[in-house]
Amino acid sequence: MSRSYLFIPGNTPSMLQNLDVFESDAIIIDFEDSVLTYDKDAARILVKEFLTKFNFKEIEIFIRINDSESPFFKEDVLLTNDLNITGYVLPKALPSSIDQLLKITDKQIIPIIESPMAVLRLEEIARKDQIKGLLLGAEDLTKELNINRTLEGTEILFTRSKIVLTCNAYKIESIDTPYTSKDDEQGIYKDSLNASNLGFTSKSCIHPNHVDVINEVFSPSQEDIKQSLRIIKKAETNTKGAFSLDGKMVDAPIIEKAKRVIVQAKKYNLL
Amino acid sequence: MTKQANTNKIIKTFDDFYNIIDIHQYKNISFHHHLRNGDYVLNMVLNHYLEKKVNNINLYPSAIFPSYSSILHLLENNQIDNITTNYCNGPVAEFISNNGLSGKLTMQTHGGRARSIIEGRSKIDIAYIAVPTCDPSGNAVGYLGNNRCGALGYPIADSLHASKVVLITDNIVDYVDSPEIKSENVDYIITIDSIGDKQGIISGTTQVTKNPIGVKIAKNTAKLMDELELIKPGFSFQSGAGGISLKVTDYVKETMKRQNIKASFFSGGITKYHVDMLEEGLVEKLYDVQCFDLEAVDSISRNTNHIPISASQYANPNDPLMVIKDLDIVILGATEIDYDFNVNVTTDSHGTIIGGSGGHSDTASEAKVTIIVSPLIKGRIPTVKKRVTTITTLGKNIDCFVTERGIAINPNRKDLLKKLLNSKLKIVPIEELAHIAHKYTNIPKEAKKRDKIIGEVEDRTLEIIDYLYLK
Amino acid sequence: MKYSAGSYESSDCIVTVSTHSKTDIIIESIVFEQFGDQIKDVISNTLKEQGIKDILVECFDKGALDYTIKSRLLTALKRMEE
Repeated sequence: MSRSYLFIPGNTPSMLQNLDVFESDAIIIDFEDSVLTYDKDAARILVKEFLTKFNFKEIEIFIRINDSESPFFKEDVLLTNDLNITGYVLPKALPSSIDQLLKITDKQIIPIIESPMAVLRLEEIARKDQIKGLLLGAEDLTKELNINRTLEGTEILFTRSKIVLTCNAYKIESIDTPYTSKDDEQGIYKDSLNASNLGFTSKSCIHPNHVDVINEVFSPSQEDIKQSLRIIKKAETNTKGAFSLDGKMVDAPIIEKAKRVIVQAKKYNLL
Repeated sequence: MTKQANTNKIIKTFDDFYNIIDIHQYKNISFHHHLRNGDYVLNMVLNHYLEKKVNNINLYPSAIFPSYSSILHLLENNQIDNITTNYCNGPVAEFISNNGLSGKLTMQTHGGRARSIIEGRSKIDIAYIAVPTCDPSGNAVGYLGNNRCGALGYPIADSLHASKVVLITDNIVDYVDSPEIKSENVDYIITIDSIGDKQGIISGTTQVTKNPIGVKIAKNTAKLMDELELIKPGFSFQSGAGGISLKVTDYVKETMKRQNIKASFFSGGITKYHVDMLEEGLVEKLYDVQCFDLEAVDSISRNTNHIPISASQYANPNDPLMVIKDLDIVILGATEIDYDFNVNVTTDSHGTIIGGSGGHSDTASEAKVTIIVSPLIKGRIPTVKKRVTTITTLGKNIDCFVTERGIAINPNRKDLLKKLLNSKLKIVPIEELAHIAHKYTNIPKEAKKRDKIIGEVEDRTLEIIDYLYLK
Repeated sequence: MKYSAGSYESSDCIVTVSTHSKTDIIIESIVFEQFGDQIKDVISNTLKEQGIKDILVECFDKGALDYTIKSRLLTALKRMEE
């Protein structure tokens, strides 16, 4: 489980060689929008040489390949499939394009939900093999719907909620769309909080300065951690399935949730 | 020394001045750098020395900027023997690095320069002082007038101790209140059309960094200060105008607001960011030796707690009023740092002069905690070396080195290390930071040995701490 | 014909290749003094790996790390092949 997914342009050495500096739990190296058409070959070779030379144990690394309709799709995968990466982020995803990708890789896949059709066929997408989570691409989606993006995000509320519900039901990660206003520190905080409150497990970003806020918002709070520790402690000494703590019933699902919080807290060095 | 009476100091033109004064008799001359790249005065004066073929000049500018082309021409004509300054950048710096001087280059600190002049080690015959505003008797300030530059901290020692003090101004007013330069020390006032170009005087380069690596370094610095519990009521702080330093200031501001903490003073070069904090009541006083932007300049005239100070009062170790002796934290930059924590901001790794101490060594020597902020790698050159190309500030005065990939603490600071025992930050020996850098860059080839000395780095203690070599 | 890859951005380099009577490597780098030899090694080793001779390689370097120099060269070579 990753809180933050940071997009890094695939053909920019100064960003690539610093990808581990920004403390993002996961990195998405981009071959799509941030790489010019005539430099797609250069990006593949650069990333291949980079990941062959440098190893990242603590970070999940994904590559956003070009979409399945583009002439770059296959080569993007074939040239990188042997690298030490967790998987691929697939733009303009639909059930059929995921099938195409499944044929050429056994790595994890994060489809980007950025078309009305993908929103309609969300469950079908979530049910596919090797799906790590779904990532909302609100910029392209709203463009297709011909509506304006706003900070409040009313226009994507339905899609956000549907993604959260679907991902939760299929036990995969739900990754919110990036916040595009680079220097608005209040904005990224509000937008992250909004996503977290809706139930997203994670948020993506295109600017490194957003990672810290996302990590903070998507981490369990100190109160959560404290309470979870108490629940686990009491559960260990308790022989019955359920017990009461501070006058509230604690049963198996609550204990499970407390354990998950502690796993996260340990992973993110919050204890 | 008796100075002339108030009435007849004003001289209409430089030509009239040169009719009174035989400049061949006065070879030790000084300038200040408050007008930075916008300065017209230094070139106006020195071009005359060039024309009149004055030889064996000893120059004492508080700093040398790229626009000071007349110095370059004097050097090319071999008219200058020695240069004593605190900072040197641009064509003059390149020329000296490649050719040396017939005498030597002495790189001082801001405090050290004031000290040398006051204690008579630097004997100045004529101090040419550009002033944005003065009255007919020679009371002058820097923060008023069309070409205002802010505090006039650097030439105050010159005005007190030079044999002849010449003000050059484009703005004479009837009366100047609480002058920085006092009339009793002034011999002549020369009026000219304009002392400088506004654009160049206020550089406008003082911006908080948005570069993600810079932001990360600033964040690490803020977390470090937090763990060391440095931000506490009544603390004092100095950060330069560098993008990373200003971002650190930004985080310090957030912490202060969140925890309702008020600082006692900020010192050094002042920017709009410091002024904002003064106006928001987050800090009691600004001790300003030099302004970096117009917001800082204009704050002096409207806020009595924004106090212009002289370089001596700022950083002269023998000045009883020295402000920085009470400084808790200073944030400084580094071109290079070595395993002994010596810092270089004087030369680049090729040995070309690119700067100088300014107040670097002064503040590092006095502050209770000195924090160096810098990217670990700059254009494939690791910032950490076994030995810096030139020592600007001795390692014994440097406490922390913060990069985007980890933090090193000077092993002498056991107190700090103890506080950081359970740190969530990546605290490593400085050698380890070098190894991390080398994983990316590989080990750079050592620059070829240079042996012809062209100058020296003189600390504020008067100790020679390193030499400058011909490239 | 000349074939290039890379950019003038910091930490990157532009590598240009063209057929030539012998193998020649020309390097212009902001870190030539510290890394000139290293850059030359990366280029000549990559050419050897690829079994390529009689080529002119021009590298205009803005502080690129080895992996970048190598991949820019490989890209330029690939563009020459195609």
